[in-house]
Amino acid sequence: MSCSGLVMLLVLWSAAIALAGNTLLPSPWSVAAAIAELAQKGFLVKHVVASLFRVTWGYLMAVVVGVPLGIFLGWRRRAEMALAPLLELLRPISPLAWIPIAILWFGVGDLAAIFIIFLASILPLILTAMNAVGSVTATHWNAGRNFGLSPVDLARKVLAPAILPQLIVGLRLTLGIAWLVVVAAEMIAVNSGLGFLIIDARNAGNRYDLVVAGMVLIGLIGVGLDSAMRRLERLPAASWGYQTPVEAEAA
Amino acid sequence: MSAAPRPPEVPRERRPVRIGRRLAVGALLWTAALTGAHMALNVDWSSIVNQRLPPSQRKLNVAYIPVTCHLACPVTDFISRYSLAGNLFIPRMFQGFPEIKEALISNRMQVGFMVAPMAIALRAQGVPIRIVYLGHRYGSAVVVQKDGPIQSVKDLRGRIIAIPSRFSDERLIVFKALKANGIPPGNVRLIEMAPPDVAGALAAKAIDAFSMGEPYPAQAEIGGFGRILFPAREYWPDYMSCVVVVRQDVIDTRPDAVQVLVDGIARSGLWLDEGKPHREHAADFVGRYYYRQPPALLRHALTMPLDRVTYTSLSPRKPDFDMVRDLMIETGVLDWKIPFSEYVDTRFADAAGRQTAWKYEPGSGKAE
Repeated sequence: MSCSGLVMLLVLWSAAIALAGNTLLPSPWSVAAAIAELAQKGFLVKHVVASLFRVTWGYLMAVVVGVPLGIFLGWRRRAEMALAPLLELLRPISPLAWIPIAILWFGVGDLAAIFIIFLASILPLILTAMNAVGSVTATHWNAGRNFGLSPVDLARKVLAPAILPQLIVGLRLTLGIAWLVVVAAEMIAVNSGLGFLIIDARNAGNRYDLVVAGMVLIGLIGVGLDSAMRRLERLPAASWGYQTPVEAEAA
Repeated sequence: MSAAPRPPEVPRERRPVRIGRRLAVGALLWTAALTGAHMALNVDWSSIVNQRLPPSQRKLNVAYIPVTCHLACPVTDFISRYSLAGNLFIPRMFQGFPEIKEALISNRMQVGFMVAPMAIALRAQGVPIRIVYLGHRYGSAVVVQKDGPIQSVKDLRGRIIAIPSRFSDERLIVFKALKANGIPPGNVRLIEMAPPDVAGALAAKAIDAFSMGEPYPAQAEIGGFGRILFPAREYWPDYMSCVVVVRQDVIDTRPDAVQVLVDGIARSGLWLDEGKPHREHAADFVGRYYYRQPPALLRHALTMPLDRVTYTSLSPRKPDFDMVRDLMIETGVLDWKIPFSEYVDTRFADAAGRQTAWKYEPGSGKAE
């Protein structure tokens, strides 16, 4: 059942191509052949590695900077009030708009692409962490304080378990965003990556099979990354916040 | 005084800190593996090594996009690799002119191939660059749908025409053609579009025509959906489009390196214009190793006929540039009469006039 939508898409796609008689748009089979061609020439691994490399670095740096910053802002209301307007101002700016600035600051290549992915990831992460801290109930804080916990222990034993579930959902959604901007990020004169594959295929004349192959690969890897992140949500530590007191008792 | 009650113990496997540690180690291993693979598969180490050399010994980074107007760049790189001196510069393929402009401004690239009006506009805005050589002559055309309603320039009235940039000679050629046929420029709609997209847009009838450099007119012809309405030379004898632009600080501090570059490009131009076998060989290696375009497409653009685009007589001439500058002012993309000597440095082209074609034959494996 889970594949029926996919099968339907493939059937509709093939039928539409056959009926349209358009020689520019590729059929699912020519896209599969294009992926096989990429694999055979060794480009598949090269492009996938390049995109994953840039997304990993951009995303992880955003996690390292954004999550602690978000937690700090959530914890310190004054800091949040001071910085929230700035964050709200930056949030709607598309990563694409940063491309010229990225080139001026970081030149052409991996660094600029990583910067674009970092920018796309950091704001949602800061906001997620801020909201997660904001949603920790006064009961939890008071309970921790009543037990005489130091600020460090309060962070480790009350804050971390309480915000983890929300944080992991935010991390998963943000990884999706990071992966989403890979095409835009790889427009910056890099010579590898799935985004580059799509842009480069446009140069190669009538190679829309390669364009769609790049799109399909981005989609497939996106699904893979998302399912890996979903496994994090099932970790016992991450499920704490979801449990009702009765479920927690039973566990 | 009684001690504070102890908080309830969280089972070990549920401790966030413990899980966090495992996740951090996993992320670290994943990042290290990807970084290693990326370094091995994708990183251009020659470029990195070059950047570590003292400035006086560095090879110049040259930006280009995959159009025949910039062909002399990859041809020079390819042939010079077979010469005793080795490659003369480090070529870097871009996807559009705005990125080349930004890379030049930020000194990531020291040299760039770009459309002449963009170079003039940048210099007029105070960006310290100079035009030192032309990239080609001819090689641009206005293309319409093959069986469409546009039969002559007069039929362009009210149509959508794609151009690569508002700062392009391809835009100016449309204005010249309209003017020659008594059509006010406001009667057509010009839209800027990335060159690789125009052939597909014409095939899908999203645009009525495009004015572009090769190989995109050739792509529309080969695809059977486009027809050349007129080549640029019909309204602009000695048409030129892309030029070689160098940062002023490089000209001032490393004139020898600039001369080596211009000499190499001049020699490649002479070699390309020596005949059809050289054009076909260039189509083959540039298509395969540089532009990643089908060699047949480039072969069509470079040989059907041979003078569709030419690579000799590339010294910048004042009358050509005065005309471009005046057209820019007339069409509203430049606001002052910047003198020729402000944006062109002719000494490198003058010295390159003594050069001869590369002595290189396909498959010989050596060049001099």
